[in-house]
Amino acid sequence: MTNRTIDNNRRKFLKQAGAGMAAVAGAGMVPLRSYADDTLVVGMNIPMTGDYAPWGLPGLYDCEIIANNINAAGGVEIGGKSYQIRVAAYDHAYDTEKALQGFKKLVLEDDAKMVMMLGGSTVASVLPWATRKKVLTTTLLPSDITPDSDYLFATCESHPLYNVTGVVWLAQNYPEAKKAVIVTNNDAEYGLQSAATYKAAFEVAGIEVVDVNLHGFDVTDFAPIVSSVLAKNPDIFCMATSFYVTPLMEQLYHQGFDGKIISCTLDYYEEIIAKTSEEFVNGTIYQFPDFDDPMLNNEGIHFPDPGGFDAAFRKDHPNDWSAVAWEYPAILLNWIENAQRVGSGESEDVAKYLRNNSQNFVFGGGDWWGSQLWGLDHALVGRWPVVVIENGKARIQEYGDLSAWLADHTEVLVRHMKELGLRTV
Amino acid sequence: MELLVQTMVNGIIQSGFYALAAVGLVLIFGVMKVVNFAHGELTMVGAYSVWFLHAQNDMPFLLTVVTAVVLVAMIGLLMERFLFRPMTDSPLGGLICSIGVLFVLQVAATLVGGEGPSKQVPPPYEGTLVLFDMLRIPYQRLFSFAVAATTLGLLWYFLTRMRIGWALRAVAQDREAASLQGINSNRMSMIAMGVGAAMAGLAGALMAPLTNINPHMGHNVIITAFIVTIVGGVGSLPGAVIASVLYALFHTFVTTYFSGTIATISGLVIMVLILIVRPSGILGKRVTE
Repeated sequence: MTNRTIDNNRRKFLKQAGAGMAAVAGAGMVPLRSYADDTLVVGMNIPMTGDYAPWGLPGLYDCEIIANNINAAGGVEIGGKSYQIRVAAYDHAYDTEKALQGFKKLVLEDDAKMVMMLGGSTVASVLPWATRKKVLTTTLLPSDITPDSDYLFATCESHPLYNVTGVVWLAQNYPEAKKAVIVTNNDAEYGLQSAATYKAAFEVAGIEVVDVNLHGFDVTDFAPIVSSVLAKNPDIFCMATSFYVTPLMEQLYHQGFDGKIISCTLDYYEEIIAKTSEEFVNGTIYQFPDFDDPMLNNEGIHFPDPGGFDAAFRKDHPNDWSAVAWEYPAILLNWIENAQRVGSGESEDVAKYLRNNSQNFVFGGGDWWGSQLWGLDHALVGRWPVVVIENGKARIQEYGDLSAWLADHTEVLVRHMKELGLRTV
Repeated sequence: MELLVQTMVNGIIQSGFYALAAVGLVLIFGVMKVVNFAHGELTMVGAYSVWFLHAQNDMPFLLTVVTAVVLVAMIGLLMERFLFRPMTDSPLGGLICSIGVLFVLQVAATLVGGEGPSKQVPPPYEGTLVLFDMLRIPYQRLFSFAVAATTLGLLWYFLTRMRIGWALRAVAQDREAASLQGINSNRMSMIAMGVGAAMAGLAGALMAPLTNINPHMGHNVIITAFIVTIVGGVGSLPGAVIASVLYALFHTFVTTYFSGTIATISGLVIMVLILIVRPSGILGKRVTE
């Protein structure tokens, strides 16, 4: 073999290898699946199976309703051009590796302009890549925000900050209730964040917390937990973002608790009533309305036709309404609104606009908040509903002013977060 | 005093579920020498059956409990015939097969029940028994405990008073010697698996109205069953029952007076200590090769 032949072979090899590497690298840069130019894809990287599915799947159903309605009406006009909206979803089953895989798939293959997520460890797992690639991402847990998470926003749910509004309402309406117990799961993402917030809210309201019972996810029998805290004779039983609201309510019922019950969520409360009684569940205070509530037609609500939306959902999914059912759609609508304002659906453009402009919060008001606790003002807070079960049905009692509470009591909240070992700046 | 008595009652009632789950596991291991990792999932299938038949399709509760027991027993029989029997000489093979069944049953539950939230079954026996104005026991828990205790009593009678029960115990003690006495060990394995699975199904069916039902609920059941089995003595049925009562009381008292997390950690620590100090458990027999 001559030197010339060897050179030719080497060049051929290098050329082919170079082309191959370019193709591989390019695959990471260019969306593999392209939709029509007039389609904007929004991603949902959420749990659709497993324990967390109730806080993912109903949101997908509702986003599809919203997208179908928009598309049927001719789409949305952004930057002088009309677009159809397509929702691309990935089920990460609350697994961090799957979450990252799904996030990349939505961005690289589906060309998602914005990715909605539930929050917690699944958001933490995608955050470095999302930030590096400047992908607009939303979470329902503002505690995911870090000083460096420039592209992460909580534009709808400000979990668990809004829980303070329930406590304020309880203290105003039941001033005789002075001793509270808190029961929740001992995870840092949902349970502890919520427990710290409730502790702060109770302190501000002058209510003594006589016991905080943090339990693991392996509990099969809630009788001893409930017996234990009821032995402290509380006036208020508080479930701080508990995954076990139904068995806890059942035990409260059987063990004869007749005080006030306050909870972050009360998903599938009809099932709780079926397992206890309507009389027992009536009066329970929580934070997530049904969307057929007449109070959602009040002035200042930034959600189109809540009643029609509720009816459309329940027609196809009669038993699936949960706390998050309206939240992902609210985020989607907020994103469309901002994309229209900025005249672009691109992640960087919308993220920049979000950072620098005030927003209309779904229940009214709307201030960017979070730097005092998490390092960036990327959590949108505003009015939040206080919901009470009346005659077996969730009904909004009032809209609490979360912004005002935070303006006055942030230092109390930060102290309680620190006491429970939670990350603060 | 009130809390003490209530905690005692809570613990005793809980022991019924623990015992049902653990005794089935012990029976299967004793006769077949297979650690059935899918035992928790058999419990889950029992609970799902009640959800599907009673809560979704209005079948009477007692009938659904019986159906659940029969269904899970049939699954057990199929496992024995097609998975464990071909692996008779390979305990590791049986264990791996049972892990496979675990996943299959979890997926099957998802297919039947769909995705989404845990399933709930409204309790067919509503209300609460109040004693001395201080002790409160829901009728549903009382019913479940009564059925569990009766079933364990019947199992004891079956194993100690009936010829077939003696044969089962003989196979558990020494499979080869039992065969030499004319006992069909394959048939005994089938009975052990059927009875063990039926008890797991019964535990799940009784728990259904009292717990969150989801495809992964078997995980906690199997951990508890392992703790109880090891503490009681691997292969010992009376040991499993005694350990169930002790562990349920221990777990309930620690949960009530300290926390559920400490209770679970302590339970696992006790299991490890038993393995170190007395590997044969409370009533297990020391075996020398």
